[in-house]
Amino acid sequence: MAGIIDSYIPVAIILVVAIIMPFITMFIVNVLSPRSSGETKFDTYESGSDPTGEARIQFKVEYYLYAISFVIFDVAVLFMFPWSVVFVGYDIAALLTIELLIFITVLLFGFVYLWKKEGLQWEK
Amino acid sequence: MVDFVEIYNNPWFRSLIGLVFVGLIFLFGMIAVWMERKIAGDIQHRIGPNRVGKFGVLQLVADAIKLFTKEDIIPIKADRVLFVAAPMVMLGSVFLMLAAIPFGAVVINDTVYPIVAAEMDISLLYIQAMSSISLVGIFMAAYGSNNKYSLIGAFRNFARMVGYEVPLIISVISVAIMANSLDIIEIVKIQDPIWYIVLQPIGFIVFFVASMSEMGRLPFDQTEAEEELVAGWVTEYSGMRFGLGFFAEYMHVVLGSFLISLLFLGGWNIPGFIPGALTANPVLGFIVPTAVLLGKAAVVMIFILMFRWAVPRFRIDQVVDLSWKKLFPLSVLNLVWVIAFTLYMGV
Repeated sequence: MAGIIDSYIPVAIILVVAIIMPFITMFIVNVLSPRSSGETKFDTYESGSDPTGEARIQFKVEYYLYAISFVIFDVAVLFMFPWSVVFVGYDIAALLTIELLIFITVLLFGFVYLWKKEGLQWEK
Repeated sequence: MVDFVEIYNNPWFRSLIGLVFVGLIFLFGMIAVWMERKIAGDIQHRIGPNRVGKFGVLQLVADAIKLFTKEDIIPIKADRVLFVAAPMVMLGSVFLMLAAIPFGAVVINDTVYPIVAAEMDISLLYIQAMSSISLVGIFMAAYGSNNKYSLIGAFRNFARMVGYEVPLIISVISVAIMANSLDIIEIVKIQDPIWYIVLQPIGFIVFFVASMSEMGRLPFDQTEAEEELVAGWVTEYSGMRFGLGFFAEYMHVVLGSFLISLLFLGGWNIPGFIPGALTANPVLGFIVPTAVLLGKAAVVMIFILMFRWAVPRFRIDQVVDLSWKKLFPLSVLNLVWVIAFTLYMGV
C-alpha cells in the first residue's frame, strides 16, 4: 500500500509546482510591465470593426449528436483497458476475449449505422 | 549498491527528479521552438533566426524577456476566472503528463533503472488521461475570452479530438495487450529485441497521426488556423498568458515525441544492444540508454516539425472524415491483428 502512495508523491509535488508557477510568472509580469490607459484596448477583437453581439451562440444540434456518438465509443474503449492487462496468463482470458470480440462486433454495427446515417460528417 | 537502490526508490528523490524534468522540459520546449523556426527557414530557403546568439539559439530567451514586459490585458467581456485559469490548466496537463514519462535509463549490473519521476502500474492510462486535459484548457480559453474566432476554433477542436481520441486509445490498448502491461517501463523493456513498429506498423501509423492531431500540429491546426480564424482559440490572449499556453503546446509536442519513441521505437533499446555487454564499462551503461532515447525523440520531433512544411492543411470536414472513416477502422484492424498474434505467440 505504501508503495502505491509513494509513487504518487512526485505527482503531487509536480501538481503543486504547476499551480504555483503561473502565479509567480504573472506576478513578475505585473511588476515589470508598463501600464497605459485607454478604453478600447479591453474590447473584444473582431478584425478591427466594432464587436457586435455575443460570441456564445447556439451551435447546430448535429454537433451534439456527434459528441454523443463519441461518448459511446469512448466508454466502450474504457472497458478494454482492464481487459488488456489480463490477456495472457489468466484462466478467464479466453472467455473475456470472446466476450470482448462480441462487444467490438456489436460496436462496429453501431459504427456502420452511424456512417450510413451520415452521423460522422461535419456538414451534410 | 544497496544504498543506490534505496535512494533510487525514495519518493522524495523521485520528486527531485520530477522537478529537474520540469526544468528540462522548458529547455526542450525552447529547443523545439528554435528548431521549428530554423527548419522552417531551411525548407523555405530563408535563414531563420540568426541575430540573438550563435545561430539564433537565444532567440527564445529574447522572446521570453519581451513577453515578461508586456502588459497583462484581460478583455472586458471575458469571463475572468476561465480566462486566467485556461493557460494554467494547459501547463498543468503537460507537467502531470511528464511525471510518468521516463526521460532515460541507467544500466547497472544487467538491471535497468529508468529515470522517471513516478513509477506506476497504469502509467499509460495516466499519461493519456493527463494529455487529454489540455483539451479542456483550450475550450476554457475560447469560451472564457468570448470571441467569435476563439469559439469557432474551440468547436473545431472538440470535433477533432472526439474523432482522434478513439483511434489513439485503441492503438495504445493494442500496445498494452502485446506487452501485457499498462506500465510504460515494462512496455519499453519488452521491446528489447524487436520494436513494436515492426510488430504493429498499422498501429504505429494510427498512433502517430492521432497524436499529431492531439498536439495540434499541422496539418491538424484547425483550432488555430491562422489563415481563417486570426489565431483561433488564442485570439484574445496576449503577453505572458499567451506565452504560457503557446509554450505548453510545444512541450506537448516534445512529450508526444517521447511517447512515440517509447511505445513504438523501443525507448532506450537499440537492436543488438545487450545490457550485459555494457556492464564491463559502467560509464557507457550510464550514458548510452539515455542518449539513445533522447536521440530517438529528437528524430521523431524533427520529423513532426518538418511535416508542417511538407503537407497541405486539411479542412475540418476532411479531418473528421480521416479520423472516423480511415483511422478508426485501421485501429480496429490493428487490434484484431494484435489479439491474433498474442494468442498465437502467448499462453
